[in-house]
Amino acid sequence: MPQLKIAAALAVAIILQLSLGGIWPPLSYIDFPLVVVVYIALQRHAWHALIVGTIAGLAIDAPSRGLIGAGGFSKTLTAYLIYIAATRVNLENPLLRIPVLAAATLIDSAIYFFWHRSLGYPPSMPFMQTISYRLIGTTIVGTFALYLLDSLFTERARQRRTFASRRKGARRGPSTLRRR
Amino acid sequence: MAAIRTQKEIRQRAPIWLGILLLTNLVIMAVDARDSVTRQRLLRVWVQALVSPAQSLSSGASGASTSFFREIVNFRQTAGENERLKEDLATAQLDLRKAQQANVENERLKGLLNLKEQTGYDQVAARVIARDSSIWFNTITINRGSSSGIALNMPVVTGGGIVGRVIALSPWTAQVMMVTDEKAAAGAIVGQLSGSGALGSVRGLGNSGLIEMRYVSGLQNVEVGNYILTTGQDGIYPPGLNVGEVVQVKPGTATQPHQILIRPGAKLDQLEEVAVLLYRPPQRAAPEQTLPNVDKTKK
Repeated sequence: MPQLKIAAALAVAIILQLSLGGIWPPLSYIDFPLVVVVYIALQRHAWHALIVGTIAGLAIDAPSRGLIGAGGFSKTLTAYLIYIAATRVNLENPLLRIPVLAAATLIDSAIYFFWHRSLGYPPSMPFMQTISYRLIGTTIVGTFALYLLDSLFTERARQRRTFASRRKGARRGPSTLRRR
Repeated sequence: MAAIRTQKEIRQRAPIWLGILLLTNLVIMAVDARDSVTRQRLLRVWVQALVSPAQSLSSGASGASTSFFREIVNFRQTAGENERLKEDLATAQLDLRKAQQANVENERLKGLLNLKEQTGYDQVAARVIARDSSIWFNTITINRGSSSGIALNMPVVTGGGIVGRVIALSPWTAQVMMVTDEKAAAGAIVGQLSGSGALGSVRGLGNSGLIEMRYVSGLQNVEVGNYILTTGQDGIYPPGLNVGEVVQVKPGTATQPHQILIRPGAKLDQLEEVAVLLYRPPQRAAPEQTLPNVDKTKK
């Protein structure tokens, strides 16, 4: 049931995003829903990525003072761009995810800012400063979060965990097992 | 083969889905953008009502978790400095910290209680449960809403001074635009209400944490350290509330106003409790019918 897992991950990310800023304001620079969007786009699930991007963006927009829909727009477009990149280039390498996360943060923030400026709702926070903090926070925390999502959700990781004990047994050899 | 075709179909249809979703977001944005800032949005009311339990929960847990992390940090520092006494010291520091936190909280709450005596207005005490979720705006969410008697545009204050005004409401929460927001403004005066002619208006400067005071005549005497009070002429804040303290003055001339920067009296970056003044500004009298610019044909 990948849809359920995605919904659960998205719900957790949205709750974290809505609540962590109240605990310690700098934590709100980490865009947890964007990390989930990037993760799903990297799995090359176009439909899932687009829907999750829209839902995540709208969920964050609604309680904010910004325009409802600006975050949905930016995250949907970001999800699509990453999906396109993932279908053309192999982004399986965990190290490659770092620049992908950074690029996603930049694209998302730039589109969000653009719509607010264009529609006469200029954000209160300075663009360069906010985008820099978001870039640092989301990339660092997102890298670990992607690893966590990967190890929890992907079939390959599940198989790796399942077969790890068998491999260990095989390495020991039959003589070792008999002695025990 | 079927799976390959499906993947191909998905890839071909993805731009269509993208277009539909982007268009949906655009429509929502357009609808949202047409509303003025102070008007209520039903969608926001619903969402605030939905997310407020989670925010309240996290806010409730925040005190415990913050002190937990502080204790860890303090404990490690103490252990590094003095390993032999670390247990005793950590316990002592823990007790001391708890007492200090209780003291600080006590002072804050006392300040809020005194506020009612100072201002003479009824008030609703509230806890800050969240900051703006998108981080791009200077707003906070408090855990009291229309069910507590709060209405739009009501002033929000602390013992130190004004915090902002209510810009959105749900039954159990309210969103407050802080005075440091670029779109926030208030009528203000330097010094005492009756003893100064240095009238002007204050306006937020975004993320700098400071407020700018405009339109104060360059002939008025304004110095660093002067206090700024509200005048009550903006129809939001009652007169006589503290706004903050002047931290920088670029003197003006007879034709140019002063350029004044103010540090807000309320500690806006450390807000935990606030009070919403149940203040409704006096209704302005209708223009006299005898005035020359009144249209007399309506009679």
